Amino acid sequence: MNLDELKKLKEKAQRHVALREGNKKYRVVFSMGTSGIAAGARDVMTSMLDELDKRGIENVEVAVTGEIGLVDAEPVIRVEDASGEKVTYANVNAAAARQIVSEHLEKGKVVDGLAVGKIKEPEQK
Amino acid sequence: MLEELSLHILDIGMNSLAAGAKTLQIVVIENIRRDWLIIRIRDDGQGMDARTLREVLGRNRTGKKGRPKAIGLGLAFLRQTSEMCGGTFHVRSAPGRGTSVTASMRYSHIDRPPLGDLNATILALCARPDVDVQLHYRSNGQTFHFSSQEGRHDEPRRTQKTQREGATARRAA
Repeated sequence: MNLDELKKLKEKAQRHVALREGNKKYRVVFSMGTSGIAAGARDVMTSMLDELDKRGIENVEVAVTGEIGLVDAEPVIRVEDASGEKVTYANVNAAAARQIVSEHLEKGKVVDGLAVGKIKEPEQK
Repeated sequence: MLEELSLHILDIGMNSLAAGAKTLQIVVIENIRRDWLIIRIRDDGQGMDARTLREVLGRNRTGKKGRPKAIGLGLAFLRQTSEMCGGTFHVRSAPGRGTSVTASMRYSHIDRPPLGDLNATILALCARPDVDVQLHYRSNGQTFHFSSQEGRHDEPRRTQKTQREGATARRAA
């Protein structure tokens, strides 16, 4: 482990924590249990934080949770919006995480090919 | 299996968060001269009683199928890794008194997984803003400290520093 690398941690963490304050449009929950971690959830999260950073998106809260029971579909992430709609994405890799940022979190469009479940449909206009 | 030690740390750390920890302290010591790598993860969560502890450390666990209160494999994985690499593994825990997990391994052991991306692990644990995640990293005389709450208690720390600086200045004078 490189000490210089670790020094970057401080500013990164500060940015990451600062992101939690204020009103959020979306909350992204990562399943970070043993199976999720073994399937690569941590690196998927790193990619998502990086992409959010790159696009300057600040209205997204990133959270973690333990095992959620979808062991064979890990890494699993759940995107919740302010209205209570929840979309679950399964088998998410780094590229998919970036796509979820650019489509769902930025433009509000669910990434159909990756979503496995959707709770509470948005109200029809 | 987990390919990096930092992934093991994340895994155990997530247990601490689930146990309601308010402070999560991660210590990583690399001592190449004595050929040790030591990892300690300590929390002030709810802790475990002797029976639970025996269960989570069992080698022959088959997973969590059909169990009302599931217990996973994370600790057993880390135990396996450290014993495979010529080290030891200890867990100290009691209800209400938190949990401390210590894993050591031979630094130069051919099977020892790389430490990996410790930054990404700490950042992931920092996703819980109410928990103070601390890292103490020591490698051959170099040390690094991190606390996720550092930026938040600016005021008292600044005062302390000012007092120390003042004392130094007085001594110098």
